[in-house]
Amino acid sequence: MIEFDHVSFSYGARPVLEDVSFLVHADERVAILGGSGDGKTTILKLILGLLKPDSGKILIDGEDIEDKTEDDLKEIRTKFSIVFQEGALFDSLSVKENVAFGLREYTKMSEREIDQKVRVLLRKVGLEEAMELMPEQLSGGMHRRVAIMRSVAAFEPKMFLYDEPTTGLDPVNADIICKLILDLSQHGNGFIVVTHKIFDAVKLAKRFMFLRNSTMVFDGNMEKLLHSSIPEIQIFLRELNLT
Amino acid sequence: MKRLKELFSNLQDFYLLSIQGLLNVGRRPFYFKDLIEQMDYAGAGSLIIILLVSLFIGMALSLQLSAELSRVGMKMYTGKVVGVSIIREIGPVLTALVFAGRVGSGMASELGSMVLGHQVDSLRVFGVDPVKKLVCPRILSAIVMLPVLTIIGDAISLLGGYLIAVFVSHQSGAVYWSSIRDVFVYENVLAGSVKPFIFGYLIACISCYTGLSTKGGAIGLRRTTTKAVVISFITIIVSDFILTRILLYVLGFSV
Repeated sequence: MIEFDHVSFSYGARPVLEDVSFLVHADERVAILGGSGDGKTTILKLILGLLKPDSGKILIDGEDIEDKTEDDLKEIRTKFSIVFQEGALFDSLSVKENVAFGLREYTKMSEREIDQKVRVLLRKVGLEEAMELMPEQLSGGMHRRVAIMRSVAAFEPKMFLYDEPTTGLDPVNADIICKLILDLSQHGNGFIVVTHKIFDAVKLAKRFMFLRNSTMVFDGNMEKLLHSSIPEIQIFLRELNLT
Repeated sequence: MKRLKELFSNLQDFYLLSIQGLLNVGRRPFYFKDLIEQMDYAGAGSLIIILLVSLFIGMALSLQLSAELSRVGMKMYTGKVVGVSIIREIGPVLTALVFAGRVGSGMASELGSMVLGHQVDSLRVFGVDPVKKLVCPRILSAIVMLPVLTIIGDAISLLGGYLIAVFVSHQSGAVYWSSIRDVFVYENVLAGSVKPFIFGYLIACISCYTGLSTKGGAIGLRRTTTKAVVISFITIIVSDFILTRILLYVLGFSV
C-alpha cells in the first residue's frame, strides 16, 4: 500500500509537486496522467525513496520512508519493480548481463542457473536470440521488453511501476508492451503507470490520476474521467475520441 | 548569498563523495570487472596520446635549452636541466593534464549520461551503491594508471630530449645520459612520483562528482564535461604549486 500524505517536492526553486495526497493499494491498476514536467516521474522516484519530499509523508505498507537509510530502503525497494523511461538498460552490459544484473546482486544462483533463468525470461518476450546483443543494438520496443524482464528477474514485486512505458514506440510495439504489463499483473499485482498517452492508460488502468501544474487535480475511475470538466483532461480525451 | 550557499553545499557534497570514494575502495563488494575496464580505458587507452605529447614536449624542451645554454657555453648541462624539469615538474603535470582532458572528461560524460538515462537510479533500485560501483573503480584506476603513464611519459620525454641533444644540438649521447643518471636521485624521483597519485585522485573525484551531479539533458551533459575538464586543469596546476612547495620543504631544498 502506498500512501502520499500532503507531499510537496521541488527541484531547487521550481515546485514539482504541491500538497499531493493519495492512497494506492498493491492490487490496483493506476495510471498517472499529466503533461511533461508535471511531476509524474517524481512520484515514482519518491515512492522508491530515490528522492526525499520537502514536506509531507510517504508511507509504504504503513511505514514512513522519510528517515530510512539507503540500506533500509533496499528492503522497501524489493516490494516494487520499476521500469524507467526508455528502459534505462546499462549501456556497458549485454542484454543477458542486464537481465542477470539483479540475480547476481540479490541471489546466490550459480552461473548456470542464472543463464537458464535469463533464457526463460527472455523467451517469454521473444528475445532469447538477442541475449548477446548490446542495448545500443536494440530497437525501442526490444529495449522496453528487456527492461521489464530485468525488473522482474531478481525479486517478486508486490507492485509494478512503469515510467512512460510506451512513449516513443509505434502502435504495434506499444500494444506488445501493454499486453506484457497486463500479463505481469495477472496474479493480482497492481501497477502504477505514468504516461501521457491516454490511449494506453485506458487500455491498462482502472483508476486514473491527473497532475496539472504540480497538483493532483483528478483521482477517479474511467467513468468519472470521461465526465471530467477539467479542460486539460478534455484535451487528453479528445485524442482518445480520435482513435 | 544564494549562490554562495549553493557553492558551499556543492563543496560539501564533493568532499563527501571524495572521502566515501576513497574509503569504500577497500570495502566489499569489489567490482573487479569494472576496475579492469576502467584501468584499460584510463591506461591502455591513453598510452598513444601520452607517448606523442611527451615525445614532442621533451624535444621542444631540449631544443629550447640547447639554444639558450649554448649561448653561455653550458650546452653540456642540457641533459641535467631537461631531466630535472621532466622528472620533477613537466612530466607529472603534463601527463595529468592530458589524462584530465581524455579520461576525466570521459568519466564525467559517461556518468552524466547514466544519470540522465536513469541508470544510476536503476543501480540504487537494485540495491547497488553507485559510489562503490561507479566511483571507486574510477578513483582506483586513476590512482594506479596515472603514475604508470607518468613514468612512461617521462621516459619518452627524456628520449625526445636525447634525440634533439644528439642529432640537432650535436652533443654527446653518453654525456646526456650520464647527466640524466645524475638526476635520478631519491629527492627528484620522490618529488616527481608523489604528484601523479594525488593528481589521479583529484581528477577522478572531480570528474565523478561533476558527472553524478549532471542535470538538464544534452546541454547539461555538455556543461558537465566542460566543467570537469576546466576544474581538473585548474586544480592540477594549483595543487602542483602547493605540492612543489611542500615537497621542496620536506626534501630539504633551499629556494
